[in-house]
Amino acid sequence: MSLAGRIAYRDELTRLAQEHPGIVCLEADLGGAKHPFQEAFPDRFFNLGIAEAAAIDCATAMAFSGYTPFFSTFAPFAVLRAAESIKLSLGYMVANVKIVAPYAGVAGGWFGTTHHCLEDLAVVQAFPGVRILAPYGEEETREMVRLMATTDGPFYMRLGRNGAYASIEGRRDEHGITWQHEEGRTADSLCVVSVGEMGTVAALAACEQRSDIVHAHLCQLDQAALSQAAAVLAGRFRAVLVVEEHRPMGGIGAALALLMPTCQVYSFNCGQAWPGTGGSHEEVLASLGFSSEALLDRIAQITAEPLGSASNQASLTKSEELTCIS
Amino acid sequence: MNMQTRIEDSDMQAPRHAAQWAPLQQKIRRTIVDLAATPTGCHIGGSLSVADILLAAFACSDREQGDEVILSKGHAAAGLYAVMYHLGELADDPVASYGAKGSILTGHPNHKIPGVRFSTGSLGHGVAYAVGWALARKMKGDLRRALVVAGDGELQEGLCWEAFQLASAQQLGNFVMVVDRNGGQNDGAVADISPLNRLDLRLQGFGFCVVELDGHDVQAMVDVIRAHDHHGGQPLAIIANTVKGKGVPAIENNPSCHYAVLRPALAHKWKEAVV
Repeated sequence: MSLAGRIAYRDELTRLAQEHPGIVCLEADLGGAKHPFQEAFPDRFFNLGIAEAAAIDCATAMAFSGYTPFFSTFAPFAVLRAAESIKLSLGYMVANVKIVAPYAGVAGGWFGTTHHCLEDLAVVQAFPGVRILAPYGEEETREMVRLMATTDGPFYMRLGRNGAYASIEGRRDEHGITWQHEEGRTADSLCVVSVGEMGTVAALAACEQRSDIVHAHLCQLDQAALSQAAAVLAGRFRAVLVVEEHRPMGGIGAALALLMPTCQVYSFNCGQAWPGTGGSHEEVLASLGFSSEALLDRIAQITAEPLGSASNQASLTKSEELTCIS
Repeated sequence: MNMQTRIEDSDMQAPRHAAQWAPLQQKIRRTIVDLAATPTGCHIGGSLSVADILLAAFACSDREQGDEVILSKGHAAAGLYAVMYHLGELADDPVASYGAKGSILTGHPNHKIPGVRFSTGSLGHGVAYAVGWALARKMKGDLRRALVVAGDGELQEGLCWEAFQLASAQQLGNFVMVVDRNGGQNDGAVADISPLNRLDLRLQGFGFCVVELDGHDVQAMVDVIRAHDHHGGQPLAIIANTVKGKGVPAIENNPSCHYAVLRPALAHKWKEAVV
């Protein structure tokens, strides 16, 4: 039984704190009443209260004092409320601060738009120097927590809420890309690039239905990591379809499109509507046109014509202009 | 560089009479006027109001041992650079490069300047950095002091009050804030724009020890800061009443002196008149 990302984070950080005395754990009143780090290391755990910008600024000074602070709160508050602190502290001053942000995308489900964050990657990507992680499943989450703990420098890690996933089975290359269904595929095959928890869930479901597509899962999403991934992707495929629980603006699809001018980059995302209705995580996503079924339709649309053909590009470009979900 | 390089009289750590600070205060004020006469000019009014506070802050702090001084009202960078220069913390006269192409001495302080740990200027952040510094030193057990200098207009930023709440909640007796209460802000008087009525009571309500004094009496500030029990759990707030444009008679208490680019002849005249 796998653990949800945010539970795995707390558990892994608590474990790491035993061997890394500099690790401190900061929360903004959303860490839960029985945080394992607090129970194990009460002197290195601080619930700083509902004060996200102040928390990141405090973490900055703690980092400059030699500590390794991990600060966690929901993505909408960490990124949007405290955006300037991330810009100045993690970006400009390169503080050794790690931000861990569950509730990214619409993981909050029925909590509503105040608790959703379909913009975090756009915001954090705009701050040079901040490494961005979006792991899928317990094992990858634990691995990324270890990476943050042992790598000097600022990180942002986005997580979902309670979704718990087993690790992806596939080949991990030297650039950190996990590959599935590579055998027999050619440059004319469509490569589905999954980002984040639900992007990967949708991609995995699509791969079960379509034996002709390749799956590439990206976990590291900052500009440096994407540049490496783009070189690999553009070298192998004519077209990729990025699947991400994010808005089209500032998403990974947009970033890869700039990095791969010779490759056709399509995006399957959450569009521009405001997720204002209730429901589970999956139901709110579906209200935004983001589901495994919609992804399969999108793949079918893209692959109806030979990839890279003029008709394909023309029709799909028009389609993408008309619909945000395209 | 030794901190005493440009200090003509005795040890910074030794008790001094108020009058003994005067020569250093005058030198700092003249440098601030010179900085206003550079091509970019500077926030001269606030730099002159805060300079004496910064002088006291540095005099009380042993940064090699873990004390930290943060100018949160970063627009008074000229005041910071002038004080640091005359205390030997900046090697070169800032007037030569302030604001110039390629210079690290920007109009708001940044962390690339030797001796400046935090980039400030977007108001409020310096207060929160200081809380984090005090908390870290408390964790380390040495309780070295975090001393932040904020403006009174700056306290309109909500981030300051988040930080006060934190300083109080974490019982940071090693957190010291000095408010440069010069009464002015960019567009006019604080009292006209968003008044800070009964600031002393507000800060007391947060659990701070609050002292109000003359922000141009360096020795008084030094004495209060040193006397505070930073091993206790009560943060210290000093409300330092200051004069915008202090020491330059032509602009003292003149609300329009927030920012100035001076002609050399006028700068010369003002420097001659510095008190």
